[in-house]
Amino acid sequence: MNNIIEIKNLTKNYFNKRALDNLNLDIESGKVVGILGPNGSGKTTLIKILTGLLRQTKGEITVDGHEVGIYTKSIVSYLPDRNFLYNWMKIEDAFQLYKDFYADFDEKKFEALLDFMKLDKSMKIESLSKGMHEKLNLSLVLSRNAKLYVLDEPIAGVDPVARDQILDAIINNYNENSSMIITTHLVRDMENLFDDVIFLKDGEVVLQGSAEALREEKGKQIDDIYKEIFGE
Amino acid sequence: MEFNDNLPIYIQIMDLIKSRIVSGQINGGDKLPSVREFSKNLKVNPNTIQRTYQELEREDLVFTQRGMGTFVTEDIGIIKRLKKDMAGTIVNNFIVEMEKIGFGPNEIVEIVSECIEKEDK
Amino acid sequence: MGKLIKYEIKGTYRYILGVLALVLILTTGIYAYISNTNEGSAFGATFIGLSVLVIFGTALSTFLYIVGSFRKELYDDRGYLTFTLPLTGNQIVGAKLIVSLMWFAILGIVIAVYNIIMALSFSPVELNISELFSMIKNMGIPYKEFIIVAITGIISGVTTLILIYLSMALSRVTFRNKKIGGFWFIIFLVLSALITYSQVKIAQFLPYYIDISTFKVGSGYMLSNNFYISTNENGIIMSGDFGNMLFNIPSFIYSILMGVLTFLGTGYLIENKIDL
Repeated sequence: MNNIIEIKNLTKNYFNKRALDNLNLDIESGKVVGILGPNGSGKTTLIKILTGLLRQTKGEITVDGHEVGIYTKSIVSYLPDRNFLYNWMKIEDAFQLYKDFYADFDEKKFEALLDFMKLDKSMKIESLSKGMHEKLNLSLVLSRNAKLYVLDEPIAGVDPVARDQILDAIINNYNENSSMIITTHLVRDMENLFDDVIFLKDGEVVLQGSAEALREEKGKQIDDIYKEIFGE
Repeated sequence: MEFNDNLPIYIQIMDLIKSRIVSGQINGGDKLPSVREFSKNLKVNPNTIQRTYQELEREDLVFTQRGMGTFVTEDIGIIKRLKKDMAGTIVNNFIVEMEKIGFGPNEIVEIVSECIEKEDK
Repeated sequence: MGKLIKYEIKGTYRYILGVLALVLILTTGIYAYISNTNEGSAFGATFIGLSVLVIFGTALSTFLYIVGSFRKELYDDRGYLTFTLPLTGNQIVGAKLIVSLMWFAILGIVIAVYNIIMALSFSPVELNISELFSMIKNMGIPYKEFIIVAITGIISGVTTLILIYLSMALSRVTFRNKKIGGFWFIIFLVLSALITYSQVKIAQFLPYYIDISTFKVGSGYMLSNNFYISTNENGIIMSGDFGNMLFNIPSFIYSILMGVLTFLGTGYLIENKIDL
């Protein structure tokens, strides 16, 4: 198995605060990996470096063997933890934009996902609710046949019905040839999706491994291990 | 499906399939759902289902036919043995619990037969 | 880059059209009012005063809107989309620049042409266009000089815009997480001062000029005792006392070079230094 992501001695400082501390991490291709940790653990910083929104202070990171840049941006499908689409857009415009910029965008898949999410192309981005935003953004991101999907907190702040739809969409559209990184602090809802999990605390990896092996070893579900590590 | 036992997910799904076979919800020779379909139904990573099927195959409970899918064994002997194994596990657990609250072997047999008689009436 | 330009235009054209409509309506109102009244009234004066104010206000807010669209990428959530597209920093800056220039050009030309039409149609004297052109011809406007001034003006506009972008990017890089309102403007003032100063210095040390009327190149000897210096962003223009125009070549090249450097610098900053 080759690695889709290789990280060596990655450090990120903000002024006086250290967000990532000498992180070493390899992520195998074809896996669904959960990056778990509370707010401020460095999850989002790591994701932003991976997607080219932030630059590391020290260390190396490669995606599919390349440094973060145009190539990696063309093979990574990224779901930010916020509404990143331009405000003036209708869903139709966002769809066109993805089609224009990403060669791996699958129109049919998108139409099917929109249908599944009960969204319509004529809807205005500005008028969507939080849950609808999340569903639309996820539909766009999953409609790319990307090598790597990066989902930052995909179910945070959405109602239980939308949450189920989002989880279904992720499972239905995940394919074995690509890899997926999902950050979350809602471990209970998502843990069954993960092949591997990585626990981040104060910018350091405190535990990592195969989800099933950890369950076997600790005799606990991942959610309970999470509670044990990060305290109640 | 919620997985609450402190066991790996694939073992919990194996147990689920076994109990369906033993109770006759799934019969010998039946086709199991595809990995993808099953992973959708249970909202579980497809690799986990894959692992489940592999483990079941190792126990000779299912067999895979290339391009066709995964099927439950038609060997009645194996299913019978599974049934017996599962019964054994349940009874063992029961006995352990009973001994914890102070019952001896004879008392346990007595209580069990009493209960069964009551149910028959 | 063409694709990004498309979405830039799609995102801003409504605002621009709105501005254009507002300005044109007010302009029409002013012209109509002036041509129909012989004596001033308090109401009329108020109307014209207000209209002029609104037009100026719109001009300023439009300028900030167009220029600010770059700033929004640096500070708003939309940057999460723009900066994860498979594009280089230069392509992003280029697209922003081209769309901004296009809007300025369209606004400028439409408003100017509309004013000429209005002036003609409301003017008490009947004029037709060909007469107007011959009139202009007869006035003997120095074409070459006019064209040179126009070209330097355009280049100056472009370099100024890029410098504004660079200042915004620098301000973002310096103060990572704080949004300090007009800090980019201070950076901009300092940078323009530096560039203009170095231009004057270059013109002094390398006094090689081109005479626009004759296209002769020469050095200081062409300058008489009596000349005027006017500087702008991209070149030193000197007017000799015979009414001919001299143009400093080194400082002109320098200013274009600075424009290119500013552009590449901005592209580099947003590709490698911005922390969103």
